[in-house]
Amino acid sequence: MDHRFQVSLRGVIDLLSHHLYSSPGVYLRELLQNATDAIRARQHLEPEHKGTVRLELVEKQDGGPPTLVFSDDGVGLTEEEIHRFLATIGESSKREALEDRRKDFIGQFGIGLLSCFMVCDELLLVTRSARGDGRTLEWRGRHDGTYAVQVSEHPLERPGTQVFLVARADMVEWFAPERLRQLGRHYGGLLPFPIQLTVGAEQERLDLDGAPWRRDYESAGERRKAMLEYGREVFETDFIDCIPLRSQAGDVDGVAFVLPASPHFNAKQKHRVYLKHMLLSESAENLLPEWAFFVKCVVNANALRPTASRESFYEDGALSQAREALGHGLRKYLVDLAHEDPRALQRLIGLHGLSIKALALDDDDFYRLVIGWLPFETSLGVTTLAEYRRAYPVVRFTATLDGFRQVARVAGAQGLCIINAAYTHDAALLEKLPHVVEGAQVEPFSAADLPQSFEELTMDERDAVFPLLRTAEQVLAPFHCGVVVKKFFPAEVPTLYSADEEGSFRRDAERARDESDDLYASVLEGVMAAAGGEPAQLCFNLHNPVVRRLAAVTDRTMMKLSVEMLYVQALLLGQHPLNAQEMTLLNQGLLGLISAQLGTGGSGGPESDGGAGSGGLH
Amino acid sequence: MAGDWREEAQALWDRAGKQKSSESKVKLLEEAVRMADSHGDVDLGYQLRDDLIDAATFGGYPDKALVAFAWCRGQQKKDPERFEPEGLLWKQKWVVGRIKEFPHISRKQITDALDDIEQCFTKVDAGKRSVLKLRYQTARDMGDDAAEVDRLWAAWLATPRDHLTDCRACELDDELDHHVETGEWEQALRKAKPILEGRVRCAEIPHLTLGTLLYPLFKLGELERAAEMHRRGYSLTSKNRDFLATMGDHLEFLALTGNLARGLALLEKHLEWTLDHGSFNDRFIFLVAATFLLERVKAAGDRDVVSLRLTKAFPEHRADGGYEVKALHAWMLKQAKDIATRFDTRNGTDRYARRLARIQRLAEEVREFPLD
Repeated sequence: MDHRFQVSLRGVIDLLSHHLYSSPGVYLRELLQNATDAIRARQHLEPEHKGTVRLELVEKQDGGPPTLVFSDDGVGLTEEEIHRFLATIGESSKREALEDRRKDFIGQFGIGLLSCFMVCDELLLVTRSARGDGRTLEWRGRHDGTYAVQVSEHPLERPGTQVFLVARADMVEWFAPERLRQLGRHYGGLLPFPIQLTVGAEQERLDLDGAPWRRDYESAGERRKAMLEYGREVFETDFIDCIPLRSQAGDVDGVAFVLPASPHFNAKQKHRVYLKHMLLSESAENLLPEWAFFVKCVVNANALRPTASRESFYEDGALSQAREALGHGLRKYLVDLAHEDPRALQRLIGLHGLSIKALALDDDDFYRLVIGWLPFETSLGVTTLAEYRRAYPVVRFTATLDGFRQVARVAGAQGLCIINAAYTHDAALLEKLPHVVEGAQVEPFSAADLPQSFEELTMDERDAVFPLLRTAEQVLAPFHCGVVVKKFFPAEVPTLYSADEEGSFRRDAERARDESDDLYASVLEGVMAAAGGEPAQLCFNLHNPVVRRLAAVTDRTMMKLSVEMLYVQALLLGQHPLNAQEMTLLNQGLLGLISAQLGTGGSGGPESDGGAGSGGLH
Repeated sequence: MAGDWREEAQALWDRAGKQKSSESKVKLLEEAVRMADSHGDVDLGYQLRDDLIDAATFGGYPDKALVAFAWCRGQQKKDPERFEPEGLLWKQKWVVGRIKEFPHISRKQITDALDDIEQCFTKVDAGKRSVLKLRYQTARDMGDDAAEVDRLWAAWLATPRDHLTDCRACELDDELDHHVETGEWEQALRKAKPILEGRVRCAEIPHLTLGTLLYPLFKLGELERAAEMHRRGYSLTSKNRDFLATMGDHLEFLALTGNLARGLALLEKHLEWTLDHGSFNDRFIFLVAATFLLERVKAAGDRDVVSLRLTKAFPEHRADGGYEVKALHAWMLKQAKDIATRFDTRNGTDRYARRLARIQRLAEEVREFPLD
């Protein structure tokens, strides 16, 4: 007897193919899922039952579309269950409803079957229930929404289900033997029962006969070789090592592969994840702790909940416990390396320093173990922290690249070794040192600290520079900038400008105020009024010839102008952008210097040369 | 030479682009901005600040977001053809939403900024919903007259969404704050369901929500659920100083349930943020929770000194790590009081003083629930 679905089946199929499934190939996953559920249900009744799935491809002699016969020896369906799954299909017109119904066996069965309509127009389902009256039933459904149920004229000998799919003309490619082999392996490779593919007279097994990481191997070396081979097959990458993974929470096991190259910064690794041995996702992200982005893994979980999109696991207590346990396994690997093969760990640090730094930041014991081996960039080249500490009792670092640039050249000339801790985690790692390592001394360093290492002036020199000091203080007071005079190297640097972080922020705010409208300019005045921090400082270098000469200048206007220009120059050299006031200083100063130059050139210049070029412009 | 700095600025920008909002991302963008400004490249300065506003807003530097925004707004007003307004309007909400959290910005300036954003939104035919939410939150947090706060709450929810309205997750989370404020614990939990089930989410939701709901759950006696949310929520938020106020929620929960050691560990880890955080409101929330925690430690009475690894930036920092509980408590309380006074003086209300006084009520509600 013919029936009709209550909903437009086209609509449901459309929904499935456009919203739920990424590719028509998913039909095979859904069939495998149904078969797996059915076999598990039968094992529940008969614990000894092993279960087998068979795929038989029947290719037509006349070149017509092939038929795939997909059979399992699972629990089968009773007539009542067939009607229930039909009802499910009828009600499955909304995405939420679809997801909801997946939760029960029959619901999943119906929805899984529907996905077959992505690749064929007609389905024949032949089934005999292990729980029923021994009859074999047939359901024939069409994509237009008509179907018929009847007792089969070709009864099955044993319980189980067969699905006959006749390829739709435009979907023949999804039935090619190579494609079936690939899809079957892909989705069902880890299933704990045989999956047989028959094409003509050829027969082969698609499953891997259990997860490779659970097999016994002759030796650790054999195991490693086999795992790396497996990793290459799965991710098409030559990994450098493999790490076993295991968590009781979520009943998770698998293997992690160490990436051969440093991953994209902060990249989340996409892992391959099986749920009860069926492929769930190739892009699960939330499985490992955040720091562990130096590995990619393959795992099977028996007791974690997938999200609706089936791309990752639901963020719940079991997952966070599992993540902790898996992270623990990775950590153990690193710790073992530190003890047994420090060279390998150092290579790993070179490759995956970021991951290792992130873990060290979170984990004191691990920190103690690796901190000495971590490399840092300094004003005197790259060095590990252990080497640095052997040479210098106090660890000095700048937390920004800006700050490092300001000090690197001068610090180098003073023989100071400053770490550039602008890179991710570096500053935090160094600040942690005295908390974890007894007696370690760590100081943040900035341009403002440099003058402390500079040579003080003699009494005579102090007297000599006093006028300069006074003038400079007056000139720079409106710029929130103090003045000192010292002696330092390199001598060609006349001045050094330093501002702490608040000072830099104040300068940013000043520029924003200069550019903004009245409303926000007044708001920023408020922000600046509240900003704390030390005033900026301009340190003059008495080793510098220009500064020496300037200190001796008696013309106050000239001295003022020179100080202004040195101030602006120091800002520009330190890459501090000028605010409007300083820009005015620069413009007026340049003009002033030019005119002063022209003035002297005009009066005492070498008129005798008779050169036209040196004559005054009037 | 000209090519050099551009490459360098681009490299900083690229590095920033690969990071989540954080202190280091903000610093990278600031450095690139300074380079662009040094060389007078306004276009680059604008694009970088456009990113900086996001990074600073979601990385816990509302003051830096404000400064970057003010600069962009200046450029945008000078040359509206060159810098289209819409993108900046979206961010203006973030900036105006937090302007009340700087006590040195006057009430008049806050009102002006709210009126101004309303005009800006009207100009592009956006509805009033976003502005009404900002007005509601500002009035509530400044302790304005209850009738006016209620009026704004109702007006916000009654106004339809439009293209400049915050995402549903954020709006829903903001609604929860209202119910927690008014003590409607069940209502808050009911409304939070879509967030808790993961159906509604965004960059900061459920992160914020999991902290917000701790006290309602505690009040309802659902301690097991609260503990679960504490675990989930804390791990989502503990790495980003934008969640300083949320750290306060977690700290308060730990103190309320007698998990004092855990509380001290949290205090130790996050005190640093309160020392220089741009939002004095968030500093206040954390300091109040810290005060409450230390009061509980004092009340437990079994130790006068606690060992803490506090940041060197802490004014009372001790190299040996031994801190007298009484002194530490007094310091936290004084900071909280100072901020409360500054806010209440500016606002002309007593909301912050009342929030500080809440500690006494909390002390009576303590209920042991060991997490370990």
